Amino acid sequence: MLAYIATSVRRKLTFVMLGTAVVALLVTASAMIVYEARNYHQTWVDDLVTQADILGKTSAPALTFNDPKTARENLAALRLRPLVTAAAIYRPDAKLFASFGGPDVPDLLPPTAGIEGYRIEGNQLLVWRQIRENGQLLGTVYLRARYELTKRLQSYLVIVGLAMLASLAVAVAVSAWLQRTITEPVLSVARVAQQVMERRDYSLRVRKTSNDEVGILVDAFNDMLAETDRRAMALEAANANLLYEMRERRSAEEALKVADQRKDEFIATLAHELRNPLAPIRNGLQILRMSNDVVVIARAKDMMERQLQQMVNLVDDLLDVSRITTGKLVLRKGLVLLQEVLRNAIDVVRPLVDAKQHTLTLGIPTADMELDADATRLSQVFANILNNAVKYTEPGGTILVTARLEGSTAEVRVADTGVGIDQEKLAHVFEMFTQFDASIERTHGGLGVGMALAKQLVEMHGGTITVHSDGVGNGSTFVVRLPVGVTAVRAAPLESSEPRKSPSKRVLLVDDNRDFVTSLAALLQLEGHDVRMTHEAASAVTVAESFRPHIAFLDLGMPKVSGYELARQLRAQACNSETVLVAVTGWGKDKDRQMSREAGFDLHLVKPVDPDQIIDAVRNATVAH
Amino acid sequence: MAVVLFLAVCWLPSSSHAQSTAEALTSERSVMAEYIYRFITYAEWPAAVFPTAEVPIVIGVVNADDIAAELEQVVRGRLAHNRRLQVRRMAPGDPLTEVHVLFIGREVAPRFFQTAKLISDRPVLTITDLERGVDQISIINFIQVDGRVRFEVNVAVAEKSGVRLSSRLLTVAMRVRPG
Repeated sequence: MLAYIATSVRRKLTFVMLGTAVVALLVTASAMIVYEARNYHQTWVDDLVTQADILGKTSAPALTFNDPKTARENLAALRLRPLVTAAAIYRPDAKLFASFGGPDVPDLLPPTAGIEGYRIEGNQLLVWRQIRENGQLLGTVYLRARYELTKRLQSYLVIVGLAMLASLAVAVAVSAWLQRTITEPVLSVARVAQQVMERRDYSLRVRKTSNDEVGILVDAFNDMLAETDRRAMALEAANANLLYEMRERRSAEEALKVADQRKDEFIATLAHELRNPLAPIRNGLQILRMSNDVVVIARAKDMMERQLQQMVNLVDDLLDVSRITTGKLVLRKGLVLLQEVLRNAIDVVRPLVDAKQHTLTLGIPTADMELDADATRLSQVFANILNNAVKYTEPGGTILVTARLEGSTAEVRVADTGVGIDQEKLAHVFEMFTQFDASIERTHGGLGVGMALAKQLVEMHGGTITVHSDGVGNGSTFVVRLPVGVTAVRAAPLESSEPRKSPSKRVLLVDDNRDFVTSLAALLQLEGHDVRMTHEAASAVTVAESFRPHIAFLDLGMPKVSGYELARQLRAQACNSETVLVAVTGWGKDKDRQMSREAGFDLHLVKPVDPDQIIDAVRNATVAH
Repeated sequence: MAVVLFLAVCWLPSSSHAQSTAEALTSERSVMAEYIYRFITYAEWPAAVFPTAEVPIVIGVVNADDIAAELEQVVRGRLAHNRRLQVRRMAPGDPLTEVHVLFIGREVAPRFFQTAKLISDRPVLTITDLERGVDQISIINFIQVDGRVRFEVNVAVAEKSGVRLSSRLLTVAMRVRPG
């Protein structure tokens, strides 16, 4: 019962109210019952005493004149009082004078009289009153009546009980009505709290209906919900953010892993591809050294040149990739004819096409298609695409090259009847280091950078490159779209690809890497420059004094004396104060450039240095002396 | 006839009826004397008859020495209405002044009332013991009922005399003649 009441505020309130009411009613009822008992007793005793006195007074003459009959008649009037069960009058000598009552009266009458007062025997009240007149004792009146205190209290209890029940019923009704004003807001708080717990919905609010403490509770509860809601939202947002970041990181990791794997594969391939031409070249060298046969030597030279060219191509590709990724590739744009570019590219792949006995068909309009582009790079793009087509087509296949003008866009299609490309792999064609068929790549050589390079070069030209294939065995088509340049000044076709002759200059190369210096010197000599080289700073200073170079390439990271120190020494020479000093270093940060500038360098080249950069630098060096 | 009956009644229960009769008579006289005293306690006189507080209530007894003797015994040392009581033996011709209560013996009573008619106009409580059936000329008349002394009251005479009787007295009277 108590546990049942303890689970509900409403029941507790009801219990408290009813408990209070019951206690109050019990106290009241007890007081009333006690009062009633006393009152009944006193009233009844007084009543009987008075009755006895009246009887005594009335019966005094009868006693005076010894008239029991009259006394009996007086007593007989008591029949009007049913509660009086017996009555009697005694003479002063305690002898019975007259009596009243039923047949059992004689037994009920006390044997003697004389005392005055009352006594309660069980449920009977006995009263004695003396009769006096003129100070003379005439006799005694005796009355016996029912004393129904118990019965009366019982009926009184019943009435009080009924009244209590009625009061409780009213109290229940009233408390049910009154407590609603208190419990209803509390219960609504409890309901909302439970809903919040069940639904985890912190946007719920309790409606405020009062301004008392419960109202304060409601406000506090709502504020708490709002706070919790805010925090939950923040947490959720943070979680979502975290989840997103985790996903990003995971995909980044995945990409890194893939890239890492590609790089591993690439390095393996690269090593392989770099190693491959070396054996034939070594063989060729051996032939050159041992044979005197002119034909054999010529064949060996051809073979060696081919192998070397393949290596050069590889390394060029690598350098291009490196330049593009480091953002160092600069397009030397000019007005070029698409026809010339294509022809140039075809010339590059012609030996391969012939070797595999492919049929190369051209569909190029005769009208000039002018582009603002880097002719060399664009040729490289199409050479790569064609090279790819040749490689991935079985011998005796057909390669179709078509070009047309579509508005301001020049479209070039290279279609082949080759192995085609799986739909799933189409998307990866232009990714770096992608090789679809390792065996084909092995036989033809390649690092999987050709198409990636092509794509990046096309995009640098503001164009697009796409690939289509109807699946494995159905060949593939590469489409290159390039914007047609109309504002560019027409330049000599493919002029940029030809080494331009420039005035001969004195060039000093200082580097402890002998091979690099030697090859670079050969290159510059081919350009017609006067080149000197040294491998250390000390000799460089001596040479420079007499040679007085127009331009000097100094390696910064030399032993003993650093490039910086050397630069200062050279600048200190009066004859070389105007010499263009070029720093060649592996360090390319702003700080490094700052340092070289402070040391007196005019240019800062970062290894690996593109021979073109060297050539350009020499070409641009002003001939001051 | 009455005598015969009286004898018959007395004869049967008692062996010495003569002695009993004498004792009963004495007892009857003493009861009467006592009753006379008690009548006084239930009666009221006009204030004029008692000029002072010392004036006693005078009980005149005419031609009834036995009653007078008993009365003298009864009133000795007793008061009524806070007054002393005085018994006066009187002859029929004696003046009735200063008498408040008058008991007249049976033999002289009829003649007494004839000769002293004026007595009814005076505030005197007249008491007789005349036999039943006789016209009541006194205020109170003793009668015998079942061997016990009872009395009857003539309210008319009482009113005429100026003596007021308590109604409570009337409740125990054997008979009350209305006024």
